[in-house]
Amino acid sequence: MFRPIFAIANATVGEAIRRKVLLIILFIATLFLIIAPNLGMLSARSETVVLKSMMLGIIQIASAVIAIVLTVYMLPNEVERRTIYTILSKPVMRWQFLAGKYLGAVLALGLMMSLMAVVMSAMFLVIKQNPSEAIKLLQAVAMYFVQMSLLASVAMCISTFVAPLVNFFLSGGLFLVGTVLNPVFDTMQKSGSGASWGKGLAQLLSVILPNFATYNIQNPLINPQQQIQSEASYYINAFGYGVMYIAIMLITGMLIFEKKEV
Amino acid sequence: MAAAIETKDLTKTYRTKAAGNVNVVDNLSLHVEEGEIFGFLGPNGAGKTTTIKMLLGIISPTSGEGTVLGEELGDMNVHHKISYVPERPYYYEYMTGFEILKFYGSLFGITDTDRMNALLERVNLHRDKSKTISQYSKGMQQRIGLAQSLLNDPKLLFLDEPTGGLDPIAHREIRDLILGFRDEGRTVFISSHELSEVELICDRVAIINYGKIARQGKLTELLKGGRVEITVEGYSEQALKDMNIPDAKILPAGGDLLLDAPEESDINAVIDAVRGSGARIVSVVPRKKRLEDLFVETVSAPKAG
Repeated sequence: MFRPIFAIANATVGEAIRRKVLLIILFIATLFLIIAPNLGMLSARSETVVLKSMMLGIIQIASAVIAIVLTVYMLPNEVERRTIYTILSKPVMRWQFLAGKYLGAVLALGLMMSLMAVVMSAMFLVIKQNPSEAIKLLQAVAMYFVQMSLLASVAMCISTFVAPLVNFFLSGGLFLVGTVLNPVFDTMQKSGSGASWGKGLAQLLSVILPNFATYNIQNPLINPQQQIQSEASYYINAFGYGVMYIAIMLITGMLIFEKKEV
Repeated sequence: MAAAIETKDLTKTYRTKAAGNVNVVDNLSLHVEEGEIFGFLGPNGAGKTTTIKMLLGIISPTSGEGTVLGEELGDMNVHHKISYVPERPYYYEYMTGFEILKFYGSLFGITDTDRMNALLERVNLHRDKSKTISQYSKGMQQRIGLAQSLLNDPKLLFLDEPTGGLDPIAHREIRDLILGFRDEGRTVFISSHELSEVELICDRVAIINYGKIARQGKLTELLKGGRVEITVEGYSEQALKDMNIPDAKILPAGGDLLLDAPEESDINAVIDAVRGSGARIVSVVPRKKRLEDLFVETVSAPKAG
């Protein structure tokens, strides 16, 4: 059952890490990570705070763009180039094909994020010579990886029924809404004031939309005043939420893809 | 002989904004025998690729039924016994020829590298197996496609335009490979526009037009009905007319007369009469019916219904 999934994932990684557009994004992000220490002086805030937030910001933005670009074209390209027909004429079910493509996308994303994380850690160690802080930064990148895997699953699910360009903006929009507005919805929902329909709507949206904000742990890492209470349970919950949401997205995508006329 | 493919009233309907429900494939009943090379012909948009996708189980028919190698359409078991090479196939360009076989082999759980090397040798790519697909010519890509299609030792191969866009040498190589498949007892289902190629290698053909089967049968039977052109000198037009050959045409030919008659006519009687009168036979030229003639005649017919 898993053999075709791994074979497709392997081929997907091989192709993804050779895609010029992704390599260009990766190159630019890496370049920014290298010059980031020299940009800290442009801010009035503490140099270390600026450096950390800048490095994490670069990795997050680059990873989000890579995750979206990587996944929105994945299925449409396979149909356009007719590779999908050769594969589906073998003993491969459609859900296995989709799972293989997703796994490959996540692995490729992981490789690219690892490269950025290595450059970030190296630069941070060279400038600040603080290994424990560098490890904390890697923790944030690990959370971003779950966040980007979630984003990739959303884009993959949408790609089963929407054209790539629309998907690009839709997935990007959902990422923004899920990052920026989800905390707002949470606050609205918990606040005592406000109309009940408004709170209901906020509750509904915060349940339906992927909560990307859960994975933004840069603030406690950057500002020592902010702390995550019970780190272990926070990370387990965030990871569990990610896995569950990814599973929902993939199963939805598989059900739509099963009926799709390719 | 057992049927490799049998369909009955297979229909695929798509809903379009402009025309509402359109039957891309319309009550298609096909019969392909085991061990033959079957040509599936039709103009662009006739429904060939949709039919192949239904036979491969990639899409489901709207109505109708069918079997492939005895299994119901869409049954995953049949995927172990069939293969498909699409028109202008694309293979992951970063992979080498050998890696392509490893990739497709892994979808079946085939890891036998000796078999892969033997297949590369069979399609004459063993010396180029370490080159990436991006370095392969069109003909080489088609041959690696055929090699991957043989990995599971299929009983039935679907080839969509196997010689499209290839040079004459590559044409010949692919044709020889396909003929070899039949010699091994495999059934080959070819969808093609290369009518001369189809005429050379196919045992039976079906012509599809507007989603319906317009003609189906043995090539030898479908191509019956050729004509014979007899040019005569010093013979009267009236004498030729008096022979009363059905469907014959008498035309002037530079001072001579040209009798254009169906091949089943009594040609010997014409020759004897002309020679007996002292006139001269200038030439007797049989004009065999070509698949191209049959195809044009079939697809030019107005849409029924």
